[in-house]
Amino acid sequence: MAIGSARVATVPPRRGVRVRELLDQERLLGPAFVTPALLFLGLLVAYPFAMAMYMAMSNSFIGRPSHFIGLQNFVALWSSDAFRQTFQNAFVFTGVAVVFKLVLGISLALLLNQQLWLKRTIRGAVLLPWVIPTALSTLGWWWMFDSLYSVVNWTGINAGLLDPPGPNWLGQKYYAMTAVITVNVWRGLPFFAITILAGLVSIPKELYEAAEADGASPMAQFWHVTLPLLKPVLAIVVLFSTIFTFSDFNIVYVLTHGGPINSTHLFATLARQVGLESGQLGQGAAISLYLFPVLVFVVWAQLRFVRKQTY
Amino acid sequence: MGPVSRRQFLTTTGAGLAGILATRVPPARGQQREISYLCWNNFAPASDKKLAEIGQRFTKDTGIKIKIDHIAHAQQAAKYASEVQTQAGHDLIEMRMHFPWLYEPQMVDVSDLVAELEKKHGKVISSGYEAAHVKGVWRAVPQYHAYFVPTYREDLFAKAGLKIPDTWEDVYTVGKELKKMGHPVGIPIAQNYDTISTAGPVLWSFGAMEVDKDGKTVRINSPATEQAVEWYKKVYRDCMEPEVLSWTDASNNQAMQAGKLGWIHNPVSTYVVAKQRKLVTADTMNHHRSLTGPGGRHETDVPRSIGIWKFSKNVEPAKEWIRYLLGKKEVYDEYVMSGDAFNLPVYTNLQDHPVLKTDAKYAGLKGEGVQYHIYGWPAPASDKVQLITNSFILPNMIAKAVTGTSTKEAVKWAEGEMKKILAG
Repeated sequence: MAIGSARVATVPPRRGVRVRELLDQERLLGPAFVTPALLFLGLLVAYPFAMAMYMAMSNSFIGRPSHFIGLQNFVALWSSDAFRQTFQNAFVFTGVAVVFKLVLGISLALLLNQQLWLKRTIRGAVLLPWVIPTALSTLGWWWMFDSLYSVVNWTGINAGLLDPPGPNWLGQKYYAMTAVITVNVWRGLPFFAITILAGLVSIPKELYEAAEADGASPMAQFWHVTLPLLKPVLAIVVLFSTIFTFSDFNIVYVLTHGGPINSTHLFATLARQVGLESGQLGQGAAISLYLFPVLVFVVWAQLRFVRKQTY
Repeated sequence: MGPVSRRQFLTTTGAGLAGILATRVPPARGQQREISYLCWNNFAPASDKKLAEIGQRFTKDTGIKIKIDHIAHAQQAAKYASEVQTQAGHDLIEMRMHFPWLYEPQMVDVSDLVAELEKKHGKVISSGYEAAHVKGVWRAVPQYHAYFVPTYREDLFAKAGLKIPDTWEDVYTVGKELKKMGHPVGIPIAQNYDTISTAGPVLWSFGAMEVDKDGKTVRINSPATEQAVEWYKKVYRDCMEPEVLSWTDASNNQAMQAGKLGWIHNPVSTYVVAKQRKLVTADTMNHHRSLTGPGGRHETDVPRSIGIWKFSKNVEPAKEWIRYLLGKKEVYDEYVMSGDAFNLPVYTNLQDHPVLKTDAKYAGLKGEGVQYHIYGWPAPASDKVQLITNSFILPNMIAKAVTGTSTKEAVKWAEGEMKKILAG
């Protein structure tokens, strides 16, 4: 018996069996599943972010050795007229654009939620501005706002709404800001509308029937049934849109290059101008990271709100 | 030679492989030399076609394979920055204006090549020197240049009996008439490089400058700058349309080609493209001599040079390409001719180039008595002077002044911004 048992003990388990046994253990299987995602995030998110943080706190210049200088870039930026203007622009641009996208997005979603003729086609078509590459669609807008060939002005003048020659859309600061906000709203609207529509569809019909039975008007139904139940969806949409709008680049770069007189510069476009065109990588990185603490707070506050709404 | 035993074969190949791995250099025998060259999409497209053709001949003649890539000029800075940061990419790059200063520590010293070319073609012209001769070393080889020149509507001038301008003040005089005729002057005042290209000569011709030649002292706040800004204000008011505030680099070209404008300040590409596209307006355009003022006759120049990255493993073949393209006079001439007077030689002995005789309308490009400079002159193109240029302080100073800010306030604002950059 002793000989037999010694034989059993010396036979190694087959390789496949051993791997299967190992994977059956939760403490190994969990990390095995998570590791690829962590590596992916580390390589594509954490590493570039850490590099940007380092650059922002260094005097990094293209192709030259750099040194750690702490927060000097952040302090120095505040003395720049162009940067202060950019800071203000970013809040105006994001604030106005997100409000418009929210209001118009809810309206569009309510409309799309109705029994429409060719409902699916219309819903698909609404997504077009979001699907077309931004640089390409913005070129179309650039032509529409062009000082020489503006179709917007041509239409307005011919319809008797504008006096010739019409507004200089991209050449005067308030008009230029209006133009970039308009394009951002046009592009971001489908994201709001479709996401809110998904939220609308998930609201049980019984609630509306009950409200109707209680004599609630459509407006009252919207305020007391639709809006409260949409709040978590709206919070998430606003959160994402705020981040995307703050970091917008293409629209301003194509339409105005940040002009006139820096009146439409956003953090991303100014960072490109300073970091890449002038080689000041440290200052460029500092510009792009300036709002990071603010955005972290916005994300934290909104996620907290969402959790409260959900649970 | 007897049969090779297995042991001999393994010993020989093993030693060879170990040698390659230790030195990290592949054996040269049997290996084709290959270089890559990144350059911009030339505004004279025929020039890019010719470059490809010359590249093929270069490969045939030297056995060195060349891969030529093109990129839009607006993307050059970002692409070059990424090549420098990753220490990988092309061997050779085409460099616009002051790029050799920007990437100086990453560029191979090509002083030997420039000396060879200067022996053949004469000294490099001043703007080419300002752009590529960095702190006593040639960091790129001057290739060709395109400079700004006044372009005017010959038919409108004849119709109204207008005199060809010789000074910037003359432009105001004719501009008023042109605007009355419905064909205003077109000088951009926006955040683009064409604006700086005109603002520079205006400033210099009035005797003003941004930063002194020491590269440290801001000189923008001067009576001469105020005169230049006042000139802009009256030209904007009486000779132009407000649309110039939103123009891109291409807007004045397009408006001139469309027949809307009467006078612009731009490289010859406006006319070259109109001619190539057979636009009716091509016949109505002509060029005249660059303008002067109390400070002399100055013009913005855009010299382009070829540099070699230090990380390149093919420095010698890369130098061979530059020698082939610019050192062989017949090849260089052929290349210049393909640009239809947009790309002109940057060496003194080649200034009176046959390409200027291919069209009577190129007579105005001869540029006698004109001093050509790159942005920021007379300051050297240091990092900070470039940041002043790239921050569009000059265009914004003018834009502020023409849209209501007082001249003194606008100039003072520019001085403050420039001082902050130089102090930073």
